[in-house]
Amino acid sequence: MSGQREAYTLPTQTGGLNQFASGFAAGDASGGPTVQYVCGECAAKVSLGRGDAIRCSMCGHRVLYKERTKRMVQFEAR
Amino acid sequence: MAPMQPPQDDLDRRKVVGINPETVTNITSTDFPGHHAGEDNSWSLSNFKQNLKVHFHENEKDEAIFSLVGVDASIANAFRRILIAEVPTLAIEKVYVQNNTSVIADEVLAHRLGLIPLKGRIEGLKWLKWFFEPNPDLGFEGVGRTDYNTVVLSLNVKCERNPHADKNATEPEEKYINSSVYSRHIKWAVQGSQEEQFRDGPIEPVSPDILIAKLRPGQEIDIIMHAHLGKGGDHAKFSPVATATYRLLPTITITKPILGADARKFQKCFPPGVIDLERVTPSDAASDESVYHGREGDEKAVVKDPMRDTVSRECLRHEEFRDKVKLGRVQDHFIFNVESTGQFPSDMLFLESVNVLKYKAKRLLQALDEMEK
Amino acid sequence: MRDSPIEEETSDPSEELLLGGAKKLVVLPGASSHAASFQIEKEDHTLGNALRYFVNKNADVEFCGYTIPHPSETKMNIRIQTWEDTKTTAVDALRKGLEDMMEACGVISEKFTEARDEFDARQS
Repeated sequence: MSGQREAYTLPTQTGGLNQFASGFAAGDASGGPTVQYVCGECAAKVSLGRGDAIRCSMCGHRVLYKERTKRMVQFEAR
Repeated sequence: MAPMQPPQDDLDRRKVVGINPETVTNITSTDFPGHHAGEDNSWSLSNFKQNLKVHFHENEKDEAIFSLVGVDASIANAFRRILIAEVPTLAIEKVYVQNNTSVIADEVLAHRLGLIPLKGRIEGLKWLKWFFEPNPDLGFEGVGRTDYNTVVLSLNVKCERNPHADKNATEPEEKYINSSVYSRHIKWAVQGSQEEQFRDGPIEPVSPDILIAKLRPGQEIDIIMHAHLGKGGDHAKFSPVATATYRLLPTITITKPILGADARKFQKCFPPGVIDLERVTPSDAASDESVYHGREGDEKAVVKDPMRDTVSRECLRHEEFRDKVKLGRVQDHFIFNVESTGQFPSDMLFLESVNVLKYKAKRLLQALDEMEK
Repeated sequence: MRDSPIEEETSDPSEELLLGGAKKLVVLPGASSHAASFQIEKEDHTLGNALRYFVNKNADVEFCGYTIPHPSETKMNIRIQTWEDTKTTAVDALRKGLEDMMEACGVISEKFTEARDEFDARQS
């Protein structure tokens, strides 16, 4: 895993799905000061900041899922 | 030399497409000047007006069945094509997803929403203008979204556990609130002058019971939608008809009498109501035709309602009927069946399509004028 | 008559946009006064076949046919040849065909509305 993260570029206009789903370009760094995740086992909301151990605070399960983005995504109804 | 008028027999024969066991004959229309020597078949509005007949068979709000008699196939087909592809219709085009935690993928949900037929006050729908996308390649800035070209709808449903549910309930409708998202959950956000234009006829889905998605507790759908005008040729969601078809009126001509058991069998070859059985009258029995002699009181096959026939040519499969019946279709009698999806009433749709054809001609005339300048 | 979205396109600058800079109607090279091929943009069999019927109904027209050069492009070519001994030019024949088509549409609209109203009246 590279330590250096590249800035996100918009997908090109070719390709079916990409054409019609244009979310915002991720300008800011992913991984803000604290991000909500959902535990895989107990479905509890877990807040993690950078460098925190990847563990559920409730049950100690080590698989966490990221929540759906809060950003608005636009689609064409086609 | 004055144009001659051919005998009615000839005219009738020219108009019938012959349907034979293996072939179809006399399909093209020949009413053009020069086709028949000595006749004048050039365009005459008065003749056309005289020969044109429109006859309605059914006129429900969402289905119209009518006969258009006296037009050429090219025109009837033009109307059919326009009904399917060129009548402007309102449908959801842009879907802005604020939140969708359901199991249905965003784009699938957007696709489903696009296909939901919308309805509203017809005068309001006619008042709406086109929306044009900005197109930077051609240097076009776009018209901008305003209240006269965009309709804003929203869908906001959250599924929760039902606290009052029976402990042993199994059905999702019972256990959860809003477990199914229906089209009745779509709300219209009135914009500006739309309030006035759509008074007493708000924009809403044609049917409130269209299932859009299924949810479970904790899942939510929060969407804003923009609906625009479009044409069926662009995307099928913009087609105002479920289907628009026409068929030609079938003709069944019994050339030699069909009697007795044969008549009953003949009747069975057609859908019910097409062939009727009549009794041979004394006058028939006494007539010159030897077939009738001694057969008074017997059943005779008579064509009652050829419109109900589906032209399966079943009767031509039987030897005994092969040379006693002639099947055909009338070339200029079109039985239209227009079924609307609910946005416009079917009869209005046909009038719209006639207008669209007229407009196309007008547009070309303008182009012709421009070209000649 | 009030502008419905169909007729909107005439006064809309976006009509040219739809055409993408091409002209709606162009005479193809090699035309003479009595024989010409026209190329119409953004039209297909819907207008082509109907227009062909009306132009053929003109007694001065020797030949009229239409074709769509390639199905991927929405172009339609229509060829009109008028008899040399008449005064009608190919352009005249095209114009007459379009005007006849508009008249016919008017008549159909009228008769349809009549029949529809009569049917509705009979039903109630």
